[in-house]
Amino acid sequence: MTTEAESLPRGGLLARVVHRARKPNRAHVEKLKDRVPFWFVAAVLMFFAWLQIALNPFGFSDLTQRYSQDVSNLLITGPYLYPTTGRDKVSVVVVDEKSLIGLKQPWQWTYSEHARALDAILSLQPKAVIVDFLFVDQHPDATIGELADEIRRYKKWVVPIYFEGGIDLPYGETALRQELARTGVPILDPTIIRYDGVVRQYPTTGRCYGTNGQEKPDQQCLSLALQVYKDLYGADYPPDLLDGKMELVWGTKTAPFNIAFNERSGSPPCNDDSGFLTRFYRAFFDRKSVEGRCAYNNYVPAEAVINAPPNDKDIPNLIPGHIVLYGGALQGAQDTSYTPTSGMQPNVFVHAMALDNLISFHGRPYQNVMRAFGRTMSNEPAQVLAIIPVILILSFLHMRRVRARKAKLVVQREEEHDAIWDWFVEKGAENFWHWFGFFLGLSIGLLLALWVGLSVANWVEVVFISVELAAMLLIGLPDSFWGYLHHVAGGVPDDIIQEEAV
Amino acid sequence: MRAILLRTACVAVFTLAATPAPAATDECTGVTGDAVLSARTPEVDLYDGPAGKRLKSIDNSKFPKCLAIAQKAPNGMMQVTIDGQPSWVLPNQVNARVASGAKPICRNLAMGGNDKAVGSTRAMGEGCPKPTGDK
Repeated sequence: MTTEAESLPRGGLLARVVHRARKPNRAHVEKLKDRVPFWFVAAVLMFFAWLQIALNPFGFSDLTQRYSQDVSNLLITGPYLYPTTGRDKVSVVVVDEKSLIGLKQPWQWTYSEHARALDAILSLQPKAVIVDFLFVDQHPDATIGELADEIRRYKKWVVPIYFEGGIDLPYGETALRQELARTGVPILDPTIIRYDGVVRQYPTTGRCYGTNGQEKPDQQCLSLALQVYKDLYGADYPPDLLDGKMELVWGTKTAPFNIAFNERSGSPPCNDDSGFLTRFYRAFFDRKSVEGRCAYNNYVPAEAVINAPPNDKDIPNLIPGHIVLYGGALQGAQDTSYTPTSGMQPNVFVHAMALDNLISFHGRPYQNVMRAFGRTMSNEPAQVLAIIPVILILSFLHMRRVRARKAKLVVQREEEHDAIWDWFVEKGAENFWHWFGFFLGLSIGLLLALWVGLSVANWVEVVFISVELAAMLLIGLPDSFWGYLHHVAGGVPDDIIQEEAV
Repeated sequence: MRAILLRTACVAVFTLAATPAPAATDECTGVTGDAVLSARTPEVDLYDGPAGKRLKSIDNSKFPKCLAIAQKAPNGMMQVTIDGQPSWVLPNQVNARVASGAKPICRNLAMGGNDKAVGSTRAMGEGCPKPTGDK
């Protein structure tokens, strides 16, 4: 037993452990730090990484992901990577305030007025029409038959038409008026996911509705965009992919029609043209200025469709053969959401963007779940998987540093080094290998992330956590922790034992 | 053989004569002013007013041609007289000859509004006031 141990209070092993825990011997702890094993360093880093990824302290994980998703949309995916395939196939016919004024049809429209608008769209031969108005309330309107007849007319012309069902309705309330539901029109769930008011994700599944307009409890159907895409493009979704949500990529290349229409109307430009570097700076420090002002998908006022003259130059390029969403942008409806790239937009454009993503990515959108080894997993295990190589390499480098520190103490006593050699060659080489190792680990992690299908948002979080772990090693947190634990458990530095022995 | 050729020619002439005129063709020279030339869609709906109820639907083949337009509503509906009965038809369901220019359609898609629309246009946004530059 050492002198140190003998000086500890009597009362058994536990009392001594408690004493060391409360009043640790600093010198011992400092010396024991150098005996930290590789597995302990890796375990501590792993624990901290898991803590951040899985438990999301202070919303760090979520905030990092969402912020980086926005920046990525504005800087990389939106302007350079996201294709315009979907944009050129989706149009939105918008019942806006000016359409009400232009048509002299104040809101709320009768069923007949909706039927006429839908008929105007139908006569332009769209690929499919999705009605983004809810027909839930049972207000008396004798023209409801006209809307039901219009649905039948769509069937006759073999143009798919979809209606939306109400959500979170009082018990027993029909999700779509029975007169309309009885026509057999598909009823879809219009749910939109917002995170802090911003739409970045889109559901893959939603409620099911029967032909009586009632919600089918305990059943799950595809979400609006997925159902439409499945019907029109014949996609097949394995059920396990439907566990997660779609990570929406918001395009920044605004539809050329919107730019031209907006310009012809004498309005401020849809986008401020700027070079990559300016855009880069703005994305981080003045995000608002880099966002677009117009909707991404074609914005066609309902007035223009209903009153379209035969020689209209635009309509033939906007509606025929397009998937048309028919929705509202009315102040009173408050049916808007904030988008990461175009500011506040009517919610009908969120469904349009989801469809756009599905078309552009051929039915395989980015998701917050991924497949690896034949299994579907959430993004958290995948992030942990991606960070493992980083942790292993960081731990290895750290162990080298600890060993070098230990050796240096011995060497210093034996010989004096040339200061220039020491600083510029040894340090330089060491730093190079450390950075090389770090980026190698990071690259392996990111490649793994890419392989399992992690979105950019998830990559960025992996990078953030890697830097954080590197910083932890720099201040020697795992070593100090090991030194303390070892000391509390009764560990004694080698030189003390030798001194005691002497 | 000659008889067959003659008969074929007659059938061809008859078929050509029976084929509906394309939308842009104006064969209603007898009607002055604005006119509904023909049906454009397989069915044409008749309404009792520009914001009224639907009275009935008529098949394309039964829809009369060259109807004078009595008045036009802001929502594009046109009043015509069919079988002595005044009715309103939808602009998208008929081919029409309308002399008056279409109203310009203007939108400030980049947020805000633009209420000072003047002039006439065939394309959306054309004829809208341009910013003067003074702020």
